[in-house]
Amino acid sequence: MAKFFGIDRFFQFLNTIKETGGIRASLYKLYRMDNLRPGTLVGTDKYGNKYYENPHYFYGRNRWVEYAEKYGLDYDASQVPAEWYGWLHYKTDLTPDKDPSRPHYKWMADHTENLSGTPGQFMPYSTTRPKIEPWIPPKA
Amino acid sequence: MATAIMNTVLRKTIEFLPSKAFTKNAVALIYTSKHLDAKWSPDAEWFEQFKGPVMYPNEITKNWAMQPWNATKVPTEKSVKNVTLNFGPQHPAAHGVLRLVLELDGEVVKRADPHIGLLHRGTEKLIEYKTYTQALPYFDRLDYVSMMCNEQCYSLAIEKLLNIDVPLRAKYIRVSFSATVLFAEITRILNHIMAIGCHALDVGALTPFFWLFEEREKMFEFYERVSGARMHAAYVRPGGVSQDLPLGLLDDIYEWASKFNERLDEVEDLLTNNRIWVQRTTDIGIISAEDALNYGFSGVMLRGSGIKWDLRKTQPYDSYELFEFDVPIGTKGDCYDRYLCRLEEMRQSLRIIDQCLNKMPPGEIKTDDAKLTTPSRHEMKTSMEALIHHFKLFTQGYQVPPGSTYTAIEAPKGEFGVYLVSDGSSKPYRCKIKAPGFAHLAGLEKVGKNHMLADIVAIIGTLDVVFGEIDR
Amino acid sequence: MNSAITKIFSVAKTGSRYVRPSAQLINQRYIGSPPKDGYIYVNDKDPSMDLNDITDRAAQTIFFTELIRGFGVTLAQIFKEPATINYPFEKGPLSPRFRGEHALRRYPSGEERCIACKLCEAICPAQQAITIEAEERADGSRRTTRYDIDMTKCIYCGFCQEACPVDAIVEGPNFEFSTETHEELLYNKEKLLNNGDKWESEIAANIHADHLYR
Repeated sequence: MAKFFGIDRFFQFLNTIKETGGIRASLYKLYRMDNLRPGTLVGTDKYGNKYYENPHYFYGRNRWVEYAEKYGLDYDASQVPAEWYGWLHYKTDLTPDKDPSRPHYKWMADHTENLSGTPGQFMPYSTTRPKIEPWIPPKA
Repeated sequence: MATAIMNTVLRKTIEFLPSKAFTKNAVALIYTSKHLDAKWSPDAEWFEQFKGPVMYPNEITKNWAMQPWNATKVPTEKSVKNVTLNFGPQHPAAHGVLRLVLELDGEVVKRADPHIGLLHRGTEKLIEYKTYTQALPYFDRLDYVSMMCNEQCYSLAIEKLLNIDVPLRAKYIRVSFSATVLFAEITRILNHIMAIGCHALDVGALTPFFWLFEEREKMFEFYERVSGARMHAAYVRPGGVSQDLPLGLLDDIYEWASKFNERLDEVEDLLTNNRIWVQRTTDIGIISAEDALNYGFSGVMLRGSGIKWDLRKTQPYDSYELFEFDVPIGTKGDCYDRYLCRLEEMRQSLRIIDQCLNKMPPGEIKTDDAKLTTPSRHEMKTSMEALIHHFKLFTQGYQVPPGSTYTAIEAPKGEFGVYLVSDGSSKPYRCKIKAPGFAHLAGLEKVGKNHMLADIVAIIGTLDVVFGEIDR
Repeated sequence: MNSAITKIFSVAKTGSRYVRPSAQLINQRYIGSPPKDGYIYVNDKDPSMDLNDITDRAAQTIFFTELIRGFGVTLAQIFKEPATINYPFEKGPLSPRFRGEHALRRYPSGEERCIACKLCEAICPAQQAITIEAEERADGSRRTTRYDIDMTKCIYCGFCQEACPVDAIVEGPNFEFSTETHEELLYNKEKLLNNGDKWESEIAANIHADHLYR
């Protein structure tokens, strides 16, 4: 009966607020993410980003990432590491810890976000020895 | 009395003036005659010569009427000229980089002069310096809303020169995906969605545009799944397609195709009977069948005028002869008929896609000619011969026997043709691209003349011009 | 019960004919002749001049029925879920074949794969987007000293990864590499190897997912 009149949605909403951690936390989340919705936590990567899923939403909206708290409002789409990239883009249903096709080599580098516009940005340089060596005059 | 005194005074004063020469003509300077009746004054006869607008009338000027005389206003000569309006290239309704120089008489367009070349990249010349394989991605970028059709045409041209046949599965994949069979038809829908959506947007209906672009997004996902790129696929290759369809893709295409008709119904609900849409499009941009033929129109522009011409029917390529579909034909040749044609063509494309999905044959996706198509990764890494072929194909490419071909396909916009001349090397000697949009844009002067300015926008929408192919 | 549902369904499917009789009339007006020899005429019939039809059309014009129906269709969208996604948090679907930012891969041992065969340089349709220089290394193996890709020239056609006989250069899954300046997109070997190290997990998963078709 409650479902028929949509009252259960109201309780769902209250529940979502409770899960988020109260009204203040919900308002902050709404401000930060423009969205407040229930979801099950699927995993957390080592940078602190949390991955949620809620199959109730349509394909394309049923998986989302909540960027780590440390980023504040400076979250960026490129902060999703390679391990979770496939899951978030619906390439695979397996989270990285369950996916056997993902290798773990010791030379694999940590993920960095797109650093354009920051001091850490990439600047091209030559990786070869210069072909012409300048003549340095001998000192007397 | 006063004048007499004045005269005397003046006459005496002159004697005291310094210059003698001045004294000589003094009489002329000073009015002395009291005999006013002896003085000539302008008479009626004298005024007669100024009656006409000119003093010495000739054959033409004698019939001219005199302007009513006005004491305060000096009549000026005016030269009257039509307003010349520069439409685009930054105008939002000027599809891309169209620059139109319009001569307006009030709001009526007297002359429409399209200026092209703002997106010219020299594709045809560039292709002469690329191998046949390297030239393929350039075709995606010609008509950048019907990518796979262009590739298909180019591939067909090479296949014709090489005299090879393509596996049926590859044909089917090409057909339904690119608006030529599976992907060919998907591309056709992509293009018509863009055409109708933007046409409606130009005329003022924003909503169908959003709804249709949602569907377009889904089709880009199909493109992405099959080729790896959402638009510039580089998927259709001479001798087949580059990769097989991934598992589950056909299911998803079926899922989408089964619902797409409803989306079209929604758009029809908004547009087809809407009085604003009908008034903005019926009897606008009429082109008669004769003119359409004379101006070299093709595709919907030709069929809208009632000419039964569709290369898929008249000279089937790939495997179109195996599919059952109807070609919509308009009657009046106005914007409204062309809109209905495009809608119906999309529904027919869905029919073809459906048949494609049901009849998709198993088998190879490219010819097994090792001199033409690249070996699979596994083969390349295990067989020496395959590795040699791999290296040959990716450095030198393949040689195409000397000859020339004009191969045309029914691209969504019309007849897209490639005139390919080969001199027997691995690079084309010449590649002329026949873009349907070019002829259509050239016909704008004919179609758009004596229409209102706002109708020009509707006509550009119905011409479905894309500058990638026009400027090449 | 079942038959009743079937009946309701069939009525619902053709219901528009009962709910909005005007739709049928309009179909008659705008959808032309039935297909003949593979061609259909759209809009070739003049509107019917029966008194009934004329009155119907007049009524439609007066009562704005087609406009109201259009509004109804748009209004119905309010009750549907929006089709948009909340981008930086939710992302659209991608396939393993996606061709994004380039990366140079390594063998599991950490040795770089590229052997400087220059196939990618040769096939690249955007001439000189890839520049390679090679030298013999101290251990006698042939390796590149320079591997530059001008990402602003690249047309992302994927020919380089198709050409590579050792799966060294790949177009990775990343598309979020936009930069503020042009220079940042002139990638050199270090940057490409670093990309490979960063994205190896995803690149390997993609190649694994697509191995049946390669």
